[in-house]
Amino acid sequence: MWSTLVSAIGFGVVLASIIAVAAMGFTIQFGLTNVLNLSFGAVMTIAAFAAYLANKHGVGGWSGLAVGGAAGAVVTLLLGRGVFKPYARRGAHLFEMMMVTLGLSLIINYAIQALSHNNIYQFVVLPSSPFQLGSILITHTQLIIVFISIGVLVVLQALLQLTKIGKALRAMAADPDLARACGIRTGRIVVLTWLLSGFLCGLAGVVYIINAQSIGYTTGQLFLPLVIAAAILGGAGSPVGAVVASLIMGIVTEVVAAFGSEAYSTVAGFGILVLVLLSKPATVRGGQTGHTQLTL
Amino acid sequence: MRLRKTWLVVVACGVAACATAAAAAAQVTRASGGSVTVAGVIALTGSSDFEGQNQVGGLYPAIYAINKAGGVNGDQLVFKGVDTRGDPADALPAVQQMLATTSNLVAIAGPDTSSAPTIVPVLNSAKIPMMAVAGESVYDRNTAPYFWRLFPPDAANGTAMVLWAKKKGYTKVAAVFGTDSGSQGDKPGVIASAKALHVKIVSNVDLTPSQPTYLSSVRKVIASHPQAIMTESDATTAGTFFGELKQLGGLAPIIGTEATFTSPWLTAVKGALGSDFLKDYTGLITAPSKTTPAVKTYEQSVTAVKSKEPSPWHSYLSNPFSITYYDGMVAVALAMVATHSNKPSVFNAAIPSVTNPGKGKKVVYTFAQGKAALLAGKKIEYVGATGLIDFDKWHNSFGNQEAVMSTSGLKPVAKGVVTAKQIEAVPVKGA
Repeated sequence: MWSTLVSAIGFGVVLASIIAVAAMGFTIQFGLTNVLNLSFGAVMTIAAFAAYLANKHGVGGWSGLAVGGAAGAVVTLLLGRGVFKPYARRGAHLFEMMMVTLGLSLIINYAIQALSHNNIYQFVVLPSSPFQLGSILITHTQLIIVFISIGVLVVLQALLQLTKIGKALRAMAADPDLARACGIRTGRIVVLTWLLSGFLCGLAGVVYIINAQSIGYTTGQLFLPLVIAAAILGGAGSPVGAVVASLIMGIVTEVVAAFGSEAYSTVAGFGILVLVLLSKPATVRGGQTGHTQLTL
Repeated sequence: MRLRKTWLVVVACGVAACATAAAAAAQVTRASGGSVTVAGVIALTGSSDFEGQNQVGGLYPAIYAINKAGGVNGDQLVFKGVDTRGDPADALPAVQQMLATTSNLVAIAGPDTSSAPTIVPVLNSAKIPMMAVAGESVYDRNTAPYFWRLFPPDAANGTAMVLWAKKKGYTKVAAVFGTDSGSQGDKPGVIASAKALHVKIVSNVDLTPSQPTYLSSVRKVIASHPQAIMTESDATTAGTFFGELKQLGGLAPIIGTEATFTSPWLTAVKGALGSDFLKDYTGLITAPSKTTPAVKTYEQSVTAVKSKEPSPWHSYLSNPFSITYYDGMVAVALAMVATHSNKPSVFNAAIPSVTNPGKGKKVVYTFAQGKAALLAGKKIEYVGATGLIDFDKWHNSFGNQEAVMSTSGLKPVAKGVVTAKQIEAVPVKGA
């Protein structure tokens, strides 16, 4: 029983590492712009396919991370400026914008399904053989993914805490009107938000397919509910919160799957989210001060 | 301003609707002159949309072959897709709408396992013949006169898998099945047959579809050290599970149900496992892999309509579901010709008369051959692309099952046969 628990915790940490990269991107985007972007998973899939295609044309495996990140950043910026901003200008509020992102998600997913002919493609970066880390059976690839997740958190926290840009991002997340009044160029900060969150979104897509060693049109969508839950649970705009929440959800999910049934694992993960929201409903209202307007 | 907002909402809804419609395979093929409608009642959208692709993969060639030979009693066949979304709650209103709005409806291809309990009674009351692939064992002793099944029940497929495992010398197997109704249909047969044949199930795992990872289930299977893995699940789930199983060094020979020998499943698992997959996989299917005149005609018909088929069209050449739907529709059409009637209440009872073996019957392999013989006053026995069709008193025709491996082009290569007699001889309880 002890070895099963330790093993489940190990798997939970691996799962959490993948969720965390995406959740950090999602929480930054949601925290600053108040857009609950349901097309986030679809952008993950686009970025993953970009990395796959680059790999097919000779770009080395791990370089796919940069390719995927760049693809995610570009697509997110295009969506932000070309779709979300015009809708916001026409008076769309939080709910309407969420429906717009839902429609985008459907369009992108069906387009990828058609272009990929419904197929699943192999994507192997590192032919990984498993090894025992105590009671945990793990592969080298999974260990690298854990370190990537930690590295992303460290770099992101350094950016947010130690740089001027980071200060501006945090000011925007706290109160965009006050930030604007203080001379912060909010338009540029929003562009930076799209690029940064999009890069993390793309990175997460590539990390997922590196772990799964395959890619299909549903790649990003499978993860999206967990990503959104972790971002909300951790508090909008908080990367550290997103990582902690990802760990909680990942470990609970895998422990329930190990001792109970796979069918209840996701139920357990979302059960935690429901309990937290019951006690902390302001978490989902947007930002740290409950600011409810779109900032685009 | 309000008008512009309204237009924006309308356009957004239209875009979403177009995206959904683009993924649906619901089409009505128009033909000139008199026509009769055959409806495909199956999941055309949603996570089970591969079932709809399997169906049209066989129906389009059947309709092509029948119409090419002049149709039935002067009428051409027209196809109509009815989307159940793989959900009984959606199937019933869809079928009711079809019955209310479709004139000249003569037959149904379907239903599938998930929607059969809901819609078989409705279609039977409406007196519409159904060529079903529903796998529930309850239809082994079917009493609905308009229900026909050219497919072995799920339990029989499960028994065939265990018989094959025993033949290969496996005494310890893992059962890995998706929690969707189609996959769970085979599992009772596997469990009960394993018990009857003294094959130990060392690990029994249910996979919830569309999860991003199955690491804990993979660990359970690895820890049980199975000699082989018996399985059915949807393609995405299978790709994720077996990919993780391989990564953690637990891959064992895979014995799959009939539903695994389809392009989406094989492509997904091959994508996850690479070339290792080909030597490790065996599927139990009903369609023969040898070329008979019926199979040749089927293949020619598939090729003739390839531009209409969902991609990849060549996958339907060896898809057991597509071939079954093809034979079912040809049998219905021959019954219509035999009775000189397009009225279901007239020709339904004649379906076995054109398929079952009998003294003095002329064996035919295509609709054209059968029609010519019937019009010449002969009695016929249609031997289809699935082989011999012999409906019993419960309107079931099972046939032998073949163990096949897959080529890199996803074509079947025969490894052995499990006969219907061998399957029936296994004393299965509780399946």
